[in-house]
Order: sequence, then C-alpha cells, then structure tokens
Amino acid sequence: MISGNNSKPWLTTTWLSALALLAPVLVMLLAGIGAPADLFVHLWQTVLPDYIINTLLLGALVVVLSLCFGVPAAIFIAQTNVLGKKYLRWLLLLPLAMPAYLVAYLYTDLFDYAGPVQRFLRASFGWSSPADYWFFDLRTLPGAAVILSLVLFPYVYMLARTAFEQQDQNLLRAGRLLGLSTRQSFFKIALPLARPAVAVAASLVLMETLADFATVQYFAVNTLTTAIYDTWLGYGDLTSANALASVLMLFILFTVVAEQKSRAGQRHQSNRPNKQTEVIVLTPWQQAGAGIFCWFLVLAGFVLPLGLLLQMAFEYSDAEQLSQLMNTGKNSLEVAVYAATLTVLLALLFGLYRRLHRDRFAHVPQVISGFGYAIPGTVIAMAMLATFGPLDHWINDLAEMLGWQSPGLVLSGSIFVIVFAFIVRFAAIANGTIASGIGQIPHSLDLAPASLGVGLKKMLLKVHLPLLKPSLLVAWLLVFVEAMKELPAVLLLRPFNFETLSTQVYQLISDEMLEQGALGAILIVLFGLLPIIWLNRTNSH
Amino acid sequence: MFTNTLKKISLLVAVAMPFFAGAADEVNVYSYRQPFLVKPLFDKFTEQTGVKVNVVFAKKGMAERLSREGKHSPADVLLTTDISRLIELQDKQLLQPVESKALVDAIPARYRASDNTWYGLTTRVRNIYSAKRLGDTDFTYEELADPKWKGRICTRSGKHPYNVALVAAMVAEHGEAETLTWLEGVKSNLARKPQGSDRAQVQAIHQGLCDLSLGNSYYFGKMLKDDKQKVWADAVNINFPNQKTRGAHVNISGVAMAKYAPHTKNAKALMEFLASKQAQAMYAETNMEYPVRVGVKVSKLVASWGDFKADHLPLETIAANRKTALVLLDKVQFDL
Amino acid sequence: MSEILNLQQVAVNFDDKSILADISLRLACGEILGLLGPSGCGKTTLLNTLAGFVTLAGGEIQIDGDMLISPGHDIAPEHRHIGMIFQDYALFPHLTVAENIAFGITKLSKSEQNLRVNELLALLKLAEHSGRYPHQLSGGQQQRVAIARALAPRPKLLLLDEPFSNIDARLRNELMLEIRQLLKKLQMTAIFVTHNKDEVFTFADKVAVMHEGKLLQLGKPAEVCLQPNCYQVADFLQLGSWIPYALSGNELTTAIGRLTDVSGALENGESRFLLIKPQDVEICEGETEGHNVIVNHISVTEQGYHYHLASSSAPAPLAFDQLSLYSPQILALGQNLKVQIKPHNLLVFTKDRH
Repeated sequence: MISGNNSKPWLTTTWLSALALLAPVLVMLLAGIGAPADLFVHLWQTVLPDYIINTLLLGALVVVLSLCFGVPAAIFIAQTNVLGKKYLRWLLLLPLAMPAYLVAYLYTDLFDYAGPVQRFLRASFGWSSPADYWFFDLRTLPGAAVILSLVLFPYVYMLARTAFEQQDQNLLRAGRLLGLSTRQSFFKIALPLARPAVAVAASLVLMETLADFATVQYFAVNTLTTAIYDTWLGYGDLTSANALASVLMLFILFTVVAEQKSRAGQRHQSNRPNKQTEVIVLTPWQQAGAGIFCWFLVLAGFVLPLGLLLQMAFEYSDAEQLSQLMNTGKNSLEVAVYAATLTVLLALLFGLYRRLHRDRFAHVPQVISGFGYAIPGTVIAMAMLATFGPLDHWINDLAEMLGWQSPGLVLSGSIFVIVFAFIVRFAAIANGTIASGIGQIPHSLDLAPASLGVGLKKMLLKVHLPLLKPSLLVAWLLVFVEAMKELPAVLLLRPFNFETLSTQVYQLISDEMLEQGALGAILIVLFGLLPIIWLNRTNSH
Repeated sequence: MFTNTLKKISLLVAVAMPFFAGAADEVNVYSYRQPFLVKPLFDKFTEQTGVKVNVVFAKKGMAERLSREGKHSPADVLLTTDISRLIELQDKQLLQPVESKALVDAIPARYRASDNTWYGLTTRVRNIYSAKRLGDTDFTYEELADPKWKGRICTRSGKHPYNVALVAAMVAEHGEAETLTWLEGVKSNLARKPQGSDRAQVQAIHQGLCDLSLGNSYYFGKMLKDDKQKVWADAVNINFPNQKTRGAHVNISGVAMAKYAPHTKNAKALMEFLASKQAQAMYAETNMEYPVRVGVKVSKLVASWGDFKADHLPLETIAANRKTALVLLDKVQFDL
Repeated sequence: MSEILNLQQVAVNFDDKSILADISLRLACGEILGLLGPSGCGKTTLLNTLAGFVTLAGGEIQIDGDMLISPGHDIAPEHRHIGMIFQDYALFPHLTVAENIAFGITKLSKSEQNLRVNELLALLKLAEHSGRYPHQLSGGQQQRVAIARALAPRPKLLLLDEPFSNIDARLRNELMLEIRQLLKKLQMTAIFVTHNKDEVFTFADKVAVMHEGKLLQLGKPAEVCLQPNCYQVADFLQLGSWIPYALSGNELTTAIGRLTDVSGALENGESRFLLIKPQDVEICEGETEGHNVIVNHISVTEQGYHYHLASSSAPAPLAFDQLSLYSPQILALGQNLKVQIKPHNLLVFTKDRH
C-alpha cells in the first residue's frame, strides 16, 4: 500500500468482502463432505456414468461448435474483405442477448413435427407421417449443443476478433518475408497467437454450458445438473447433492487452471496494434461464402428468434399482460441494478487492492471472489440458503434474547439473498473487466500523484476512477444483463410475491404457453442489447 | 472512502429490503401450485376476510427452504401438487396438526392424514391418453409394457412426481421385481426419450409421433379450453385405466400448515376456505380437478368424461414406496 | 561486384499524398547502406516499400538483376528474397529460438533445416538458448535471434529497421561491430534505417540522407561529411556551426574575422550561412585585445572541453549565438576571447525555414 495510515480499513474491507463471496462456495464444499456412500454407489451403478458422459459430451460439443462459429467469424471480420463487414462486426455480437432456453423453445416449435418447417416439407413433398422422411430431432444432446452454441459463440467471436486486431503487425510481416503468403502467415502466426484469447473464450463458453439449466432440462438431456437435482429433490439428499455440485465445480476450476497453465510460457503483449493489416482478399465466391456464414449466424442466433417472439407478442399480448410486466420488470430491474452496482464496487475494491497493495497475497481476494462463476445458479441458490439460513437464525435468536420483535428472515427471505447470489455468480465477470482496465493504467500513475503531494484517496478519485470509467461501465452492463437473464437462482430464492421477467417467462414456457411470455422475453432481450451496443460504441472509438 | 461508500450502500440495501414477518392481517403461502391456478382462490379469500395472501411460487426446493428456515420461517400454509411432497414435509417434521371440524367434515378420511397434519384438496387421475383412431378401449397401466405398443408410448420424465407416484403404486401392487420388469417394458416401448410436460405428450400424439401417453386428468380440460392446444386434445381420447381391476391411480393436491407458522389463525382460515364449497367448486370449474369435498360437483366438461373407479390404495403407502420407485427408475435408466 | 539493388525514381503515395518521390539508388553485393534522416522523412516507408508492404506509385525496383517491381507489376513480400529485422524484432512468441530461426526454411528437408539452424545458432552464439522462448531472452539475445531468423533463408538483401535503438548504449558499439563483421563475412547486402549518424559511421559503407520523402545525398560517409551537398545534410549530420557572413568582392566578413581571396560560387543572399566545423576554428593565443566571442556554455567530453561561443561585438546581421569550439584549454563561463577561422574549403548553404 502506498499510503500507510488508511490501509487498515482497506485491508479488512477487501478481505472480508472476498471471504463473504467465497463463503457460499465453502459452505457447499463442507456440506458435501460426509455424503453417504450408498447413494453414490447406487447412482454410480445406474445413471451417473451416463450423466457424466453427457456432461462431458455436451461441454465438448458446445465448445467445439462455438469455436467453429466464432473463430471463422472473427477471421472474416478481422482479416478479410467479407461483404457487409461494417455491420457484421457488431451484428455478430447480438446473439449474446438471447437466453438459450428461449431459443430452445422457439426452435423446437419451429422445427418439430407439427412445426411450420416440417408441415411445409410434408405439404411440398406429399409426405404424411414421420416414417416417410428423416428430419433432425432438435430435442437431443447435439440439438442442445447447437442451440447453446448459437447464443454462446459471440464470446469466442468477440475475444478472437480483438486478439486478431491487436496483434503486432510486424509479426505477420516477418512471416511474409520468411516466405509465407498472407493466408499462410495468418494460419501459422495470427491463429496460434490468438490461442490464449480463444482459450479464455472457450472456458467462458464451457462454464456457461455447465451452468445451463433450462435448455438441457427442456431437451431432456440428463447432465450432472440433472443428477444434482435428482439427488436433492428426488432422493431428498442435500448432502450428496452438495458433494456432486462440488465435484462439478472442481471439474470446472480444474479445466480453467489447466488451460491457464498450458499457456503460461507465452505471454506476449503487442505494443503495435494491427491497425492497417493487409486484409486477405477473398475471391468473389469465397466472399459470398464467408458472408453467408456470418449472416447465417446472425439470423439463427438473433434475428429469427426475435422475429418469432415479436410475431407472438403481436398476436397474443394485451393490456393486462403489459401491466403485469411492468411489475415484474420493475423487480428484475431492481435486483439487476443492485447486483450490478455492488458487484462492480466490489470488483473495483479487489482490483485496486491488488494493484496498490503489493504483497504476495494481494491477488487472492480477486481470485477467490471469482470462484462462484464456476458454479451453476441452482447450486449457488442452495449454498445461499445454507449460508444465510443459519445467519438469519442467529439474528432472530439475538433479537429474541434482547427482547425485540423478531425481524424474520431478513437475509435469506428477501431480495438480499438474490442480489448476493448474483454477486457471487457474476463477480468474476466484473473482476476480469476491471482488472484489464486497471492493467492499462501505467504504474507510474500510482506514484505520480504521491510525488505531487496528493493523498491516496484523492489519487484514486482524480486519477484512477476517471481512467477506469469505461471498464466500470462495461462491467456494470455485463453483470446487469446476466442478472436480468439469470433464471435458476431466482427460481429457488424468490421471496413472497416476487417474480422477475425470467421466472415469469420460464413458468409460462414450461406450461407450453410461450405466447403469453413473448413480451417479457422481448424485454429481456432488449435489455441484453444495451451492453452490446455500448461495447460496440467504445470499441469503434 | 470505499469502506464508507460500501457501508452506505449496504445500509441502503438493507433499508430497501422488504420485511414480511410481523404484519398483522396476512397469511404467507409457499405454493407448488402455479399462480394462475391459485390466484383466483386467494383473491376470493382476501375479498371475504380482508386477509392479504403473500405467495412464493416454487416447483423445486420448497421443503429444503422450509427446513433451512426452521422456526423463523415466515411460511404459514403449504400448497402441494402431489402426495409425496406432503409426506416429505410430514417426515421432515415441518408440519403441525390442524384440528378443524370444518376440514374433517369436508374431506373424506382417505384423503387426509390420520394425524391431521395434511389435507387433500383435489384429486387427479393419472390417465392414459390414446390416439382417437384407437377407439374406446379399456387400458391398463400394466399393458404399457406390452410389446404391441413398441415405439408408440410418450411420457414426461420418469422422475416427475406424478410418474414416481404411479410407479410407487405399481410397487405397492406388484412388488419390486415385477415393477422393474414392467418399467423395462415401458421403457422399451417409448417412442422417444422422456421429455416435456404432460401436455407436450398429447401434442406428440397429435403430431403422430406416438399413440399413447400418460397424463393427469385436468390437463385434458385445460387443453380443450386453450385456442392453440385444442387441436392436440381433439386428437386423443382420455382413458381411465384399470377399470376392470383395482381402479385408476389417483393422486391428490393438498394443503398443510407449517410447523412454525406465525399466523396460525389466518392459516387455518385459509385452509378451511380452500375446503369450502365455494373454493372446491372453483377448483372443479377453473382447474378441472376432482374436488375432495363430498357433494361438490365436478365441472360439466369433466363430468362428460364419465365416472370412474379409483384405486383406493392408501396414499401413505404410495409415499412409502417412493424411494424404491426412484431407485427402480434409475436402474432401468428410464430417462436416458 | 554485381549489383543487388537498383532503384529508379521510386515514388510512393498514401491517399494521394506523396510520401516518397524520385528515389534512385544502386547497391552492390555486400554493401551496407545506412538510411539516415529525421523522423517522418520516409526512410521506414522506403524500407517497407523494398520489403513489399507498400506498393509503388511510380518508378521501379530491380533486385539482383532479374526481379523487377514496378507499379503494374508487384511481387509479394514472400517472393522477394528479402530478410528483415524489425525494430522490436517481431519474434514469434509462441515458438522457441530454434523454431523461430527455422520458420523461413520449412521447405528444406529436416536435416538441412537442422544443419542451417545449428550453423546460425553457433554463428550468433545462441546455441545454449535454442530451446527457450523469446520472452526468456535479453534484448541483445532477441536481436541475434531476429538476425539468425532473417538470415536463415539466405536472403539477397537484409533490411534492418532501427536495429540498435533498443540496445543499451554501452553495448551498442560492440554489437554494431560484431554484426558488421558477420554481414561482411557472409557477403550480405544490407540496408538499415537510423536517425543516429554515429551508427552510420560505424556500421555503413554508404549513407543515404533523406528529407521529406526525397533522397538528398548518397555516398560514402567520409565523402558526405567532407562535401555535404545541402544545408539539410550538413545540419542533420551536425557537421558544424552555422554563422552569417557578408561578401564583398572576394572578401568574406564574419563576426570572427575576415577571409580574403575566397573563391568559388559564393554569393550573398537571404539566409545563407557559412558552415564552420569545429576543426576550422582556433583560439588566437595570447590576444588580450579584440575579443570577439564570449563563452556561454561549457560541456566536458572525453577529449577535452566543448565550448559554446556567442559573438560579443559584431553588428546584428553578422551576430551569431552558437559556435562550437573543442579545446583542451580551460576557459571560464562568461570569459571573453578572440577566435578566428582557419583557412579551409568554405561551405556555404541556404537555410530554408520550415
């Protein structure tokens, strides 16, 4: 710490906050210890191997498909003269705003036997029963993988594109002079160099996939999440459910750490962003192909689902729905704003602490507060109840002892617990964004104000915060949207008379009444567009 | 600075948090039942008594939440859709007995707990829906394992409480080994992997994907009343199985009072209201279930499906076999 | 010696703005050319044009006699047989030293590749680092790798973009000599870009001074120093101090004395100045009268003292405020003294103000 006298409150606040965010994770791990072996044996002998295989298969498929969608898209936009590049650049980000389960429901409607596509085919070719022709079944593991990839690939696209655009142009030029064509030097140099960014994106995609609940459930793909549900709700065995969840979390953490270790030796920062790269000039056919590929992704991942929703909303919505939406919309906004604001403040705290407090453990708060991202929302919700339930008891017992009126479940029975769950779940997103923002502030600026006789507080207020404004905003928006979309945690933690847009839409959908939920779904999507528009704006400057 | 800001913000959040416990004229409900079903009932109750009804809707994790909350739980009344949920709550000692003449008089003994911890409100049959072209036939649950239905049966997840209860009833009737064989037979007859809701299975019959499906009785009425789903329902017949043998499998939706209910008086009033003629008639009309109260008529539509013989296997027996049913379902990998 | 490079009236435009114009030069095999000039003069663009990263707007480039590049006939960088060493070395961070060096010779057989890589590793004293990654090396080692990588495909021409700017000043001279010897040993033709004249004098056989997209002078460093062809060349090379003068007949008057019998194409004119190299001035020993300059800055050099002198008594048009004088003699700040110009081959240029 640079300024000594006010380091104590900093230190305590930072560590306490980080530990508070880690607490639910620890509670879950502890709760899983001592799970009875017989249930595991039974699960292992019957369904668990299949669940695990499904989980691995789904994770691998979604990662591979997202790479197949995202990397070529990034290449076309960053390195070629593909048609419509200017628009595709940001259009390709839009699918991020679509909750996967919505796309799943919409596409099932569209492509199943009674859906318009198959009806049209039957009418056109005179088929009359399923036996007459083959048509893909969307409600399968590969189907779920395709749907998830369609909305998750923009992570890969975004990070890979940025990596390509920020690569040192001299590296590519060196490749040319050593005998490679533009294309070859792209594949032998630019692509390998983008690997770290692509790997980060892939691990994001993997985490989102493993945390998904609604899509796999709808598609009846039994994964480890199903196993957690079964053990908890079917067998009523929370201990074993916690143990399974811990295994899932450790698996995710292991993947992430292994990935980071694998590229530890290849740090490379470019100081000469590749602004005027020689684009790979495509032949007209290639140009058309690349264009179709990109436009297909935009259509399939965003335009078509939104169009279907708009059509439904147009046909089915009425004034009563709208007033109900205002109410649930307000709830959604409220928790999302709380969650985003607090998450960003905490992430800022962890980030600045790491930067200014230069000891061996300064990075620890930032790291441990991000663990929650590796835990599916359902599991976080369970951990929340296990953490704040006892705390509530303690508060009530204390109140009773003091002869006050018992305050009730102020923590676990209010939106506090939802907001906290969101912070635990999404802290990693804000941490990452803010850490990279802080990384761009030259270290000399930490010292300059001190040399001018300005104190720490003033320095942070006048120097660091203004410089961090864009990162703070991006972090806020990202958490905000994730919180708007989040489903499983809210579903389990709702207090009395409390619905959010996503729980309402989900309930309607699970009763086969998506039409009534269309308007709410559109709202979720529209909110999801905000950060994308903003990200695009800041990127193009 | 950050410490202070944080303090201020957490204070702000704490102040903004709504407090629920303590207020006088209200009753808190944890409901497995969906909003559109119970909201009209609660509105009517509030209209009559002036007691405000606060609800948390949840399909999952209610018992867990309740037991975590323990003696500080704000919950008064618990509404469930299935006998096993009621028994689970009872087993975990999360309920308190309610002594009420009104309830005891209204509800037949086989639809309430002997210790008065829970009361059934409606009954629902686990029907077999069949494609219309199969005509009127007497179906049995047992014949679902008959190879003649190979590739022609659709159902939701075997792990869904409705199906678990049916399997538990099979265990009670035929024993573990025979039920396992039966489940294997049913599984090998499935047209597709178990998925979706009961209605989605009817939709699948309409689409021609399968001929038979399992589904609760009231969904038939609901689909007939829905613009989009009417065509699905029109494609099927609703059948009451095992009419020549033990009768159709029946489950109940029920109500119970939480052990630490802070508003016992209001809770009891709400429970009694739900068993009242008026509320029972509403259940019958709007939700097309079979009211438990003797003398309350089913809706016209439901009546048109005809009378049926119900399996009078005690509900506690079904609940007791639940775990065995789950183990068997895992053993045959029913959902995989 | 055969000719490796021949540039005829090369011109380059960016967005219709002329960046390079009318550049012509020839380079024989094994020659090292230093491109010298202030930032923005176009020297790096010229390098990039030779490498093929910038297309020609006019003129032609001939490489080794048989390869002709002109506006209508471009040849891709990868087919020019040119090697380049970038200012930041541009080593591939995902490849080891050996892999970096072998990058451009993958068409050779594995054994030939190994042979050449080992040869270069030995030549550049990198053998013990062959398995390391670039970020594990020091700046000097990284540069050796960059050189080895560029040399591996045996290019006809080697381009170096400010090769020594990232090297510690203390090691720079040593490294320059070492690399020069290496290039000479390999008979490698090379062009390097710099804004440091000392590098040119140490490293180059020929120097080309550039200014605003034009080639001002091309020649051996000694020739250019002796006979700069314009004000910019002399000024950029910091050959000496500029002092005003007045000419009448064949007598030239300055603030520090007259020179008679001047000949040549001297003439009066607006902003014309006489170039006075340090060796052309001397102190008039023992003079107590007629002081004409005052010492206004002293700096210490290895050889003695470097004094900045200003004229002390001359009338305005002839007054100057900076004349460099190197001397072992100890003078005090503010001391007045008399200096004079030694007779020499006078250099007079017009200074254009920009």
